[in-house]
Amino acid sequence: MNPLRTALFGLIAGACALAASSAGAIAATPAKTVEIKGEIIDTWCYLSGVMGGPEAVVGSAHHTCALWCAAGGIPVGVRAEDGTVYMVLKIKGEDPLAQTDTILEIQSDTIVAKGSHYVRDGINYLVVAQVVANEGITNKNHEDFGVVPGFAFPEAE
Amino acid sequence: MIFKTTLKLALTISIGLVTTGVATGVASAEDFSKGSKAATFGLRGETKATFSGKVVDILCELSGDCPANCGDGNRNLGIVREADGKLILVSKNAQFEFNGAVDDLLPYCGKAVDVDGLMIGNDPGVKAQIYMVQLIREKGAADWNKAELWTSAWAKRNPGAAGKGPWYNRDPRVAKQIKKDGRLGLGHAADKKYQEE
Repeated sequence: MNPLRTALFGLIAGACALAASSAGAIAATPAKTVEIKGEIIDTWCYLSGVMGGPEAVVGSAHHTCALWCAAGGIPVGVRAEDGTVYMVLKIKGEDPLAQTDTILEIQSDTIVAKGSHYVRDGINYLVVAQVVANEGITNKNHEDFGVVPGFAFPEAE
Repeated sequence: MIFKTTLKLALTISIGLVTTGVATGVASAEDFSKGSKAATFGLRGETKATFSGKVVDILCELSGDCPANCGDGNRNLGIVREADGKLILVSKNAQFEFNGAVDDLLPYCGKAVDVDGLMIGNDPGVKAQIYMVQLIREKGAADWNKAELWTSAWAKRNPGAAGKGPWYNRDPRVAKQIKKDGRLGLGHAADKKYQEE
């Protein structure tokens, strides 16, 4: 093929790719099937630092607050072993804010989740089709941090 | 002649590509803090941000799985920002009682809105910031609405949980989990041991 014609086709293909990428804002994002091991976390306290450092707002130390935030409609996440946080958009066929117990049952647990992974504008999203393993709460960090926040554990109870 | 025409066409496309790339870059670098009246709290990576965009059901936006009315409050919602087409995850409303933003966004499902609030976060595990919405209005409306609908919506969803004290100490679903596994989630014996220490 004529080298100039090849270059021209290349440029046109590039232009099409760029146009497609710009249109990505309205097109569905391709999903990847994944299996991720990680801890179920309260993403607001974890990312905002509102109650302290990230290692204090996970695990048993933050369990009650994680229940509050999940029931409060704050996005629940899976923090994978490499630190990547996945926002859970569906869990075992249920929407995450459905008024059921499904997402509350696994707060702070270390799980292995199988499902569909989407990435959009820097955020990882996960549709959990199946929890293939659940080790329960393995991060017993209340031994190091106490309870965060302190009022999650009323002394007079 | 053919050579010259082809070269001209190639050059035109190249310039177009570069221009588009530069324009995209400029849009993504826009300063959204200009004009914001958001309250600040010293949160991690906190930046004021006011912008316009369309309220969307995030899963619908990503996958094409689109129930009516953005999932009727059961799904995480976001805003596709008008200026750059970015999908912004709205995690939090303006209340400080562990409340998400879905009840504040849902009335605007599929509509264009103006919002004011904070972009939050700088964790290496999330390559973008999440949003705390403090004010919302239909795009171009005169008056802002405070994004504080969650607790009243909760009260409507839980008529049997009326009483004194914050909602989270009265929520039946939370109470069920604490009754089952304790406040540490490790069983009541672990709670007792912790209290005794």
